Order: sequence, then C-alpha cells, then structure tokens
Amino acid sequence: MLAAVRAPLQRRYRQWLARRMPASRQQRLTQQRIFILPTRYGLFFLLIAALLFLGGINYENNLIMALSFLMTSLFMIAILHTFRNLAGLLVRAGQLEPGHAGAEGALEILLHADDRHPHLSLWLRWPGGPVEEVSVLPGEEKSVWLRLPLKRRGRVHPGRLHIESRYPLGLLRAWSQLDMAHPALAWPRAAPSEFCPASGGDAEQGLQHTRLAGSDDFQGLRSYQPGDPPRMVDWKAYARGRGLHSKYFADPAEGWLWLDWAMMPGVDPETRLSRLTWWVLQLEQKNQRYGLRLPGAELPPGLGPEQQRQALDLLALYGEEVA
Amino acid sequence: MARVYQVPHHAFGWLVAGTFMAALPHLIHGPLWLRILLPATVLGRILIQRGRLPMPGRVLRVILLGGVLLGTLYTHGTVLGPDAGTCLLVAAFALKLLEMVRLRDAYVLLVLGYFVLATTFLFYQGPIASLYVLLSMLCLTAALPGINHPEAGARAWRHFRLALVMLLQAVPLMLLLFVLVPRISPLWSLEFSQERSRTGMSDSMAPGEVSHLSQSRELAFRVEFEGAVPPPAARYWRGLTYAWFDGRRWSQARPQEISQADYVWFPASPQPRPDWAATLVAARDEAAARGPVYRYRVVQEPSRRNWLYALAVPFADDTRLGLVRDLRLVSREELNQRRDYRVTSYPALRSSMPMSPADEAISLQLPEGFNPRAREMARRWYREAGSAEAYANRLLRWFREESFYYTLEPPLLGEHTVDEFLFGSRRGFCEHYASAFAFMMRAAGVPARIVAGYQGGELNPVGNHLRVHQYHAHAWTEIWLPGSGWVEVDPTAAVAPSRIEMGPEAALQDDPLADFQGIMRDLPWLQQLSNRFDYVQFIWQKWVLDYDESSQLSLLQRWLGDVSPARIGMALAAGAAVLLMPVALWVLLRRRGPGRTPMQREYRAMLKQLRGRGLVLSDDLPPRRLVREAGGQWPAARPVLKKWGRAFEESVYGGQAGTSLRALRRYRRQLRWLRGARGGQHVSPG
Repeated sequence: MLAAVRAPLQRRYRQWLARRMPASRQQRLTQQRIFILPTRYGLFFLLIAALLFLGGINYENNLIMALSFLMTSLFMIAILHTFRNLAGLLVRAGQLEPGHAGAEGALEILLHADDRHPHLSLWLRWPGGPVEEVSVLPGEEKSVWLRLPLKRRGRVHPGRLHIESRYPLGLLRAWSQLDMAHPALAWPRAAPSEFCPASGGDAEQGLQHTRLAGSDDFQGLRSYQPGDPPRMVDWKAYARGRGLHSKYFADPAEGWLWLDWAMMPGVDPETRLSRLTWWVLQLEQKNQRYGLRLPGAELPPGLGPEQQRQALDLLALYGEEVA
Repeated sequence: MARVYQVPHHAFGWLVAGTFMAALPHLIHGPLWLRILLPATVLGRILIQRGRLPMPGRVLRVILLGGVLLGTLYTHGTVLGPDAGTCLLVAAFALKLLEMVRLRDAYVLLVLGYFVLATTFLFYQGPIASLYVLLSMLCLTAALPGINHPEAGARAWRHFRLALVMLLQAVPLMLLLFVLVPRISPLWSLEFSQERSRTGMSDSMAPGEVSHLSQSRELAFRVEFEGAVPPPAARYWRGLTYAWFDGRRWSQARPQEISQADYVWFPASPQPRPDWAATLVAARDEAAARGPVYRYRVVQEPSRRNWLYALAVPFADDTRLGLVRDLRLVSREELNQRRDYRVTSYPALRSSMPMSPADEAISLQLPEGFNPRAREMARRWYREAGSAEAYANRLLRWFREESFYYTLEPPLLGEHTVDEFLFGSRRGFCEHYASAFAFMMRAAGVPARIVAGYQGGELNPVGNHLRVHQYHAHAWTEIWLPGSGWVEVDPTAAVAPSRIEMGPEAALQDDPLADFQGIMRDLPWLQQLSNRFDYVQFIWQKWVLDYDESSQLSLLQRWLGDVSPARIGMALAAGAAVLLMPVALWVLLRRRGPGRTPMQREYRAMLKQLRGRGLVLSDDLPPRRLVREAGGQWPAARPVLKKWGRAFEESVYGGQAGTSLRALRRYRRQLRWLRGARGGQHVSPG
C-alpha cells in the first residue's frame, strides 16, 4: 500500500534531481545543489525553545523568553553555518578500483576546498555503501575512496553520491546528492573449470589440452645432468630403478596460450566470461603467458599485472558499449 | 548513517563545564542532597571518561532515579510546581551525565542543559545572573561542535570561539524577537509556593512584642524621579495605615459605616467616583500651585501584598491601581511579580481631604482599661497646652529632652505597653514611639493614626533614582488638625533625628552594616562603583524585566504607528531579513586569508617572530632561504633555526604534519628564549 504510493514519488524525486543536478564528473556544491533540514536533535532543540517561550509567557518572565529567542536565533544562524560547511566544495570523480561481481569495488572522489573555508566532518557514501568521514581544510584537496558493493558484471552506476554534513551544531543536516558520472567496473565472477579454454602455445602444436593437476606444461624427460635442481628430478622413475632423469618443461617465455571465447561451445555467455576470468587469474599465478580472444576484441599475449588488468577489463566490458 | 560514538576529549571539557554551570545556581537554594549529587555525578563522569570507573549498571541507575524522586518528595512534598519541578529536573539532568553512552545521550544532555539554564531565571533575574547564564550557554554551545567534530586533532578553544561567534551573530535577531514578538497574557495561572515569601511590612504591629527588629538589606523598591527629588525629610513612602488599637496591637481597619466602594477608588472602574475622590481630583491644580508636585516611577519588588508605596496623595496611571480613603495606593491583586507604576504626588492636597464622622470616630478609638497613667497625662497636658498643635509639640519636646533612646533591641513590654514604655523602659524603635504618640493623641481627643511604610532611601546620583531597602521600613503617625487635614508627625525623629535625615545606618552606630557603609563612604570609588552597578540594575529592570504588554504596545505604536498583527509580522520579517543579511554575507563570503593550512600558519608565525626580533626578511622566502638569511642576521639562533628548517621540510614533503608540528612549535619557543638578535643589541643586565 505504502510502497504503491512511494514508488512513483521516488521516481518523481529522481527525475526532479536529474533535472536539477545533471550528471557531471566535476561539480561544485552551490546553493542549487545543497539541501538543508533540521535533524531530530534540531527539532528537539526547537521544541525546548517553544516550551521555554510558553513558560516565559506563563511566568511573565522576560528572561526565560529571551533565552527562548536566543535559542531560536542560534538555530537560524546555525542554518548559515551548516550550509557554509558544504558550500563551495568542489567534488570531482577520481580513479576507480574494480572488483569482481559479488564483491566490492571502490571509487575515488576528490574533494577540493577553495581557500575560504574549511569543510569539516563531511560524510560521504554511495547508496548502500559504507560511510567515510573526511574534513577538508582551506586550499586542500582530499581523496576519498568510497567502497560500494558490485552486484553484477560490467559498468556499475553507483547512483548518486551522498554528501552530508551536520557540523557545527548537529541541529541541522545539509546534504547533496550528486550524479558524478563515475561508474565502477565489475569484473566477472571467477568460476573454476577443469579444462582450459585455450588454443595452443605455437601455431605448429595446434590444439592442446593441458592437464590440470599440476602438470605445468610437462614436456618430457631427459637424462640427469649435474646442475639440474633436485625439484626437477623424476624421483618416481629413479625409485623404480630406471636411472636418474630430469623432467623438463616448456619455457613459458617461449610458448603462450590463447584463452578463447570460442573454445566453449554451448556454454552461456556469462559462464564463459566467468571461466575465462578464472583462467586469467590462474595463468597469471602460474606465470604462463596468455592472450585473450573475445568476439570483436583481442588482447595480444603477455604477462603481468598490466596484462591481467587489461584482460579482466576486457571481460568486464564484454557486450557493453565502449564508453 | 550510524556511527560508533565516543565523547571526543576536546568536547568533554565543554560538556562537563556547561552541564555543571547550568545546574550550579540550583545548588545555592536547592536541598542538601542535590548539592551533593551534582558534584558527585560530575566527578563520576570524569572518572568514567578516564576509565577509572565502569558505566553504572541499570540497577544502580534505577536506584538513583528512585532516590531522586523520593528526595524531591521529601523536600517539597510534591513533584509538581516550579520549585519541585526544577529540583527534579536538575537532579535528573545530573544523573543523565552518568549514563551518557551514545551521541544521542550527549545531545539530549546538552539540549536539556538549555532548559535547566532557563529555570535559573525563575530564581535570579539580575544582570549578573543573566551574564552567568549566557556564559553557561556558551559552554553548552561549545560542546556541540565538539561532539560533531570527531577528529582527534580538533582544538577545544576553537569550539568555544565558534560558539562565541555564533551566539554573537544570533544576538541581534534575538533582540528583534524580544522587542517584536507579541506578549500574551499567561495561558493558565500559576502560583508560587509560599516557601519563597519575603520579608516586609505586615498588616498589623504590636510594639511590645518584638524584642529584635531584623534589618534586611533586601531591596523593597526603587524610585526614579522625573524632575525634582524630595529632600530626605520628605521621603515618607506611605504603605498602609493602622487605625485600630486593641491595647497591644495596631491594625488596619475600615470604618463599618463606609462601604468598600466608598473606601477604595479605582479610576478605571465603572463604579461612581466617591465624593472624597472627586474633591481631591478637583483640588489637584490648586494644590500644585500651593506646593511641590513629585512625578516618579516606582519599581516595586514582589511583596506578596496588595499595598503599594508612594508619597502622600498619590495618583497612579495604572488601571489596576486604586486610591484608598487613607491616601495610599492599592493593587487589585497581590504583587507576585515585580511591578512598576508611575505616580504623581501632591503633598499639599492633604488639607483638601474631608473628614467624615466615621473616620473621626475610628481615629479616636481606644480600648478601655489600658495605660491609665498615659491617659491621665494626656488629658492634663492637652488642657495645659490649649490646642492640638501645641500639645503635639510639647509631647515631641518631651521625647527629645527626656532620656528616650532609639534602639533596635528594646525590652519586651507587659500589659500596659504605652505606660511601661513612657514611664519605664524608654527604649524602642519607631513602632514604640509611633504607638505611644498616637495613643497620647487619641487619649487627648486628637484624631490620630499610625502609618507604616518606608522612610528615606539612598539616592543614586548616577541614575537620579532612590533605592529603598527593607531596613528603611518605618512607622510614624498622622494627626488631624482642622484646616491642615492629616499632618505627618514622626516622633522617632524627635528621639533620633539622624534616623530621618541620614538614614537608619546613622542612627545605629553599633550596627556592623553601618561600618560597612562607613567604609563605602571613605572609598569614593567603591561607592561610585556600587552606584553605577545599581544604575545598571535599574536600567535592566526598566528595559528588560519590565518590558510587558503595555510597554511593548507603546513602543510599537511609536515605531509602527498602527499596531496590527500584520504590521508586527511584516516588521518581524523585514527586521529579520535586514539583520540576517549582513551575517549571511559575512559567514558565506569571508575569506580566511591565504595562509590557512597548518604549515602555512607555522611559516607565518615564524616570520612574524623573527621580524619581531628586528630581523629584516622579505615575504615568501622558501623555508631554506628563510633559515639561511635569518641565521646570517642572528648567528646565535642558527642551530635552532636549522633544526626548525629541517623539521619544516620533513613535514611538508614527508607528510607527517601532525607529529612534527609540535616539534616546530617547540623550536619556535626555544627561539623566544634566546637572547640578542642582530649581534647582541639586547644586552642582558648583570
């Protein structure tokens, strides 16, 4: 019943907000963008002032009335100060820290104060996210990383950034809700799969299924030579009396794998992305060079954090419009 | 947006100071248990904050609350009404300090603090009390930014400064509201309990039964004169008259033949004006031509009586006041609040007051069988004197020449009080003399009555006003002389003339208060200070405490012309806009100056300090060059300067401003102790 009334109202409110404060990566908090209302304590304060007024009338006591008026005036002045604490702050969208869908990501917000006023005890959060508190002194720029839950893969619009301040008296809260045009990025959830959806290291080898269980690209055995590390000795064969042999592995620097979307026919796209994500993380861990082929996109083979980041971003943005 | 809460250390001091100050005035008149409770809870809270005590559990809190309820019941017999209510409020407020565990509790405590502060005004209303309340409010308000500023680096004094700035900005708006918001009559009637009834005049007197007259310095009323101030000998503030004597006690009486309507005249009432009042009103102009006219304003302290004080033949401009047949003012209801009223007195009008047979009968009334010796002497002396006037003068001369003494500690008297006093003890204060004199007059057939009121008053030259204290209370007599009407005769003046001319302290040389007054007189500046303060109190009374419906109306009529709700509303809105606009501009647009980060402030402070030592340094030097140039001009300071420079660069580039700021300040302090900038210009003595 209540929800039936609330939903259209909230939609109206959002539309009104969007018209009043359109999305932008850099916004200054001006009068147009700041709302201000009393807090519960502010209402309590006003109630006490009203009671004192009644008491002053009844006891014909001018001083009690004067105190009531002073409280009322203080409240009015507090409106100015509370507003001032937010006004003039420049809010910019900063960097982003992606995360896997289902976990958390973070977005950076940069707060810049001009050299007029300090902005003390500001509370920032994304809808549904935890609150960060920060103070910005005059002339200072502060960076705040705000965490937010990532519910699905892809570009995640965090909603409106909520900035609130109750400083100085806590009797009023001034707040603003800004659309920072600052989407977060959610990588696909990692889903393990037994077989690596990859096509071979070199062109000659063609298709190759690499076995999962610690195979480490096992290539073959050769007779032991002094200097071989004991880890590489095939102790099982030695125990069976076949002599001392060393296992040798394909050099990761020479061979690479193409993680390929097309290798998983009949699997639904999100699962394919999740498996590819898992394999990107796996290969990165195993120091195995890899490339990534998606419909309409290709990442040349490589290794290292940069490669992983690019691969995951590519997976995250699969099927989304390029920003 | 819930957060885990702790009272920040920089807010705790203001919180405790504010709550303690808010409750403190109630400890002065509060019961003993309250006086113990409050410091105990403050101490408890401090110990809890320091981790020395655990938070009190629920059981202990319930026990404490129950104890407070019982204590209030025990002290006041009720938990309702202003006295008991305030007591309960303060106690509950003190307990709240103990159970403050969340931000919410701190808010509730602080906002309640404002309420507790306001109750102070139920008991004290002077300018000092108001300043105290303002100061306490400042502390309470300073705690608010404190609890809203969770950062550990915040400075406590900054909260105070902010609170001060905000309150100062709020004051103009408060004044506007105070002047313009319409005063409404009380919504429901409230009675103060009798606990706080005051000392003062009573409606009867029995001279033989009082062996000690207490002298209170408490203020009875103030008088502000417009124009001429009557000389000390003419300052007889008449309160009431005693016409009935039962042998021991003199009391107020209205002759049975005279109706209430004929006894009191309220000018504003629709009832017909009594004949005597008509006669007086008609004779006013003629009396003004014959004698002085005094115009003044009396600010009467609450007396819980309905009689007022004025010089003879008073006419008040207040519709609630009436003139009584014995030439005094009364109010319709008792004075439970301070009241001020304007009076015009015509002393010469006394002779126009007609004497009715009923008045004459009651003014000659004496009980049978008392004071035979005095009666006999009265008859004899009157026969010898021949006229009432000559007889009265002989009696006064006798008081003056025989060994009568003025004392505040007379012996008790037996059955024949007048006989025993006149022919035995001969010691007494004004009541004894007035009683004996009136008795002697009546016994000789001269109509007489006793007047009770105040005599004298201390003139404050700063404000041209008189202060009349309880110790100015006095009793004297009036006798009826054909042709002159009721004539004031003060037999005490015959015995102790200084009592009338110089005030009671002059007549009582052994009074410790007199010593104090003597000291005051020897220290003119102290006297002047006291006069000035009294003037401030008077102005406060006149403009703040007595600002009521009628004064508001007259003020608004002068400003707005026509007073209507719409006009008042417009004036409020316009005034608020005019007052808030500059504050808003100042708050929103004021620049805090460029050097606002802590490091910039530190740099400026250093530059200022070095220049104060006479070093010549240009603006905006990089820190390293500043150190080099300053070191060149002031070699002795070079090591400290170098340390300062290193610490400064470390904190600017190393990013640990918090820790090294303290070090920077320490180096700057060290510099302050170094002698001799610029090659030892400052030569140390010895």
